[in-house]
Amino acid sequence: MSNFLSYQNIDFRFGDQNYYASSVSLSAQASVDAVLLNDGSLLNYAPNGAVVGGLSVDFYLTGSLPSFLQITGLNESPIDVSFAGVKINQVYSKSLSFSVEPFQPIIISAEFDWYGNVLLEDFNEQSKSTLQNKLIPDYIANGYKSFITTSDIEGVGFIVSFDYNMSCDRPAYFNVDEVVPFRVAKLNKTSELSIKSNSLGKILSIDGKSAITNITLKDTYGISLDLFKVSGVLTNQNYEISEGQYLLASAKITQTIPETKTLI
Amino acid sequence: MSSIISGLNIKNIFEYDPLLAYDKFDIIDYQLITGISVYPSYTGLGNTGLCSWFNNDNLEDFKTDGNFNITGWKNKVINSGDLLQFSEDDNVRPNVQFNEPYITLKNLELLSGTGFEHTKRTIFLAVNSSEPNKPKTDNQKIIKFGPLDSPNGSLQISGKNSYFDAQLILDSTPFNAKSPIYNAINIFTLIQNDSPSPTLKIRQNGLQIGQIVPNAQWNSSYFEIGNNPGNNGINYYDLFYFSGVLSETEIDYYEKYLFEKYFSYFDGLFFAKQDVPAGEQYSPIFFEGEDYWTKNINDIFKFNYGSSVNFAAKLSPLNMGDGYKTNIVNGINTLTATFNLVYDGLTDKQAKCLIAFFENTPEAPDKSLYEGFQGVSTNLFAPYKTNAELYFKSINHNSSYNNINKITIEAESLYDSAIDHKGMFVVLDEKNIKTYESVVSSILTNDVFYFESDNFFNRGYYFYTGLNLNASNGSSGPSGPSTNNKITILPENSPTGVNSFFTKNFYFKGDLEYDINENIRLFSTEMKNSTIEYSKDGINYNNLEFKVSFKKRTNQETKSILKFLDDKAGFKIFYYTLPQPYNKLISVYCPEWDHTYNFYDNNDISVKFIEFKAPSEPVAYFNTDIQFLS
Repeated sequence: MSNFLSYQNIDFRFGDQNYYASSVSLSAQASVDAVLLNDGSLLNYAPNGAVVGGLSVDFYLTGSLPSFLQITGLNESPIDVSFAGVKINQVYSKSLSFSVEPFQPIIISAEFDWYGNVLLEDFNEQSKSTLQNKLIPDYIANGYKSFITTSDIEGVGFIVSFDYNMSCDRPAYFNVDEVVPFRVAKLNKTSELSIKSNSLGKILSIDGKSAITNITLKDTYGISLDLFKVSGVLTNQNYEISEGQYLLASAKITQTIPETKTLI
Repeated sequence: MSSIISGLNIKNIFEYDPLLAYDKFDIIDYQLITGISVYPSYTGLGNTGLCSWFNNDNLEDFKTDGNFNITGWKNKVINSGDLLQFSEDDNVRPNVQFNEPYITLKNLELLSGTGFEHTKRTIFLAVNSSEPNKPKTDNQKIIKFGPLDSPNGSLQISGKNSYFDAQLILDSTPFNAKSPIYNAINIFTLIQNDSPSPTLKIRQNGLQIGQIVPNAQWNSSYFEIGNNPGNNGINYYDLFYFSGVLSETEIDYYEKYLFEKYFSYFDGLFFAKQDVPAGEQYSPIFFEGEDYWTKNINDIFKFNYGSSVNFAAKLSPLNMGDGYKTNIVNGINTLTATFNLVYDGLTDKQAKCLIAFFENTPEAPDKSLYEGFQGVSTNLFAPYKTNAELYFKSINHNSSYNNINKITIEAESLYDSAIDHKGMFVVLDEKNIKTYESVVSSILTNDVFYFESDNFFNRGYYFYTGLNLNASNGSSGPSGPSTNNKITILPENSPTGVNSFFTKNFYFKGDLEYDINENIRLFSTEMKNSTIEYSKDGINYNNLEFKVSFKKRTNQETKSILKFLDDKAGFKIFYYTLPQPYNKLISVYCPEWDHTYNFYDNNDISVKFIEFKAPSEPVAYFNTDIQFLS
């Protein structure tokens, strides 16, 4: 094996499902504090918490999103992922975003937390046979046919591009003597939509501007792959004018996702 | 619905229904059988046919000899036969149990009588059997009809106390018991019928176990209980029967009467420790139910980081002037511990379960006739006891978001004695804290050993410092296997050796950041229309009272510090070297300390030291020669 591993294609798997990833980033973070004693000596470096791993992946949307990537849903369960020979058991999704621009393929960016051990020594190059046998996806979401519809927003003109993001916080809870959490919950679930348009209507008021939007992602042939809805409040308007350019207005719509309690 | 529900602020807790399946963390109010209980002699439902009834409600239920040996157990049903013991031999006469609701018939002890012949009847028994000395071969008789040992009509128990091994034997036909048969109260119901053909059914705790064609001896006039040679016996709580075959509903009434009277442990809330299938065999009282239901909090919840504890000694200082004092210890339970037990990240369902558990703790059975209710047996976090008895006193429930709950329970430990040389809260368990041996499999800095010695001053806990304390160069101690993967500690390096690697002193170093406040003890004289005049209040006017913190310490060092403090029990004197710039060795005692378990290998300890101005070792002895001159 060479000293540097090269990847022509990244085999990224959620569970047992292949995804066409353009990049994957893996990180780990430990939090420690130095313990200094009253005689001036250093005792040790004490851990403040578990090693928190980060995983971010960019992949092409080749079908509808799997349920575990519904960040704002109720499902807190982790999923196993693997890429480049490395398997990470139990990653917890915390954000998902994508941008839609004319004629551009839509790339989904997802971020995860993970805990526990990962065998980094398993990093391995993709075999030639795997590379040659890789299936070509039937569908790839593209900005060509994808669109956004808005209702209840006064004065929004032609939308030229938009960005979508849904995210939540994933606090981890640990039993004593353990460094892997027994639960990674979800809280502060929000979805956001940023749009760019030629006009946005009247200036917003103190309570923002109510907004209901629906995003439809399609492939270049018009096959519908997934739907996203942001039903929130428009809280930000920007207008940019530069020499030789069109007036371009941008706005951000934010939705807080509530959970109605089930009586027990 | 049980009356205990009135003590709960949680809604939607229902009586156990065997037809339903349950989810993990579900709560049930277990009542054996839903519906009412009926006293055996109650006639409000019509003529019951009660023929015999024996129990230990009153002393007058017994005929006794001068030694309170039972010569007869009186039948509560008037004009019905008693159970008697005619023999003068003390070995066959049971004793009256004054403080218990049962009588015990052990070894050869037996009671018998005649006039009990019936061809149809329903018998109810509440008994608790001890484990036989030979579980493989010994059958213990609960009841017997017929004067002969064989053939007879009998209910016996046999086997080990586990599912598919514990057996109920009707005559000679064995059936698998559904509940533990030893060291647990059981309700046995026997339904004897003679038409259309003779049958005998047995129920254990309300669940039918089996049916036989009974031996003819079941129709005998002779009835006997006890007589299990070589065994520790059977506790008989209640025994009554009715002529005729009662309906299922009536049987339920009387079984529930026995349950409510004697099953204080099973009566009340149970918590599902896993998903429970529907079916009566999964109720808490049966073998299979034990895997699904619990009253033990340790089975369903674990503590989270952030759990903490405060120790405080109850002392009565006796000040003797000049800064001298002595601490009067208030009894043997000087040290009380108050735990703040953190359960974080709970779902709403888990929070409901834990809150209901907390609110229900006063419903625990009393420790004895003379004491209050039992505390919660708690498997504390390291390095504390795994079987501490705590009283849950207050609860803080914080819900930060939907379905995310944090519960902190304040619990107090009362019953750990300071005279237990094995430790109060940080115990000698031969795993974490061991009895000292010269050959050990491993040894780490801050390991704690208990050193046995006939010499009082040498005996006690020693802490492995990892250093040769007496060597001028501070050379390290043994650090690796020497022979057979064992480490041998030489005699001179032992706790009492001349070059010891161990210490009994407080050698732990506090944090770099610290505060020390001093208050000079002054005597003031305030003269009218003049200034205050200060005088020094005798000698020793600068006695210190200060806190030392040990933050972010490893679990190993934490165990060691806590063991040291635990061993000093809040009042014993030891030496402490003040940090720079004081650098003075002073005598202190530690009446109070706190410990918080922040994360693995990250513990905060804060201790309060009070300077003690008196020799920590006796220097004066009573050595006066008194002469009586006349």
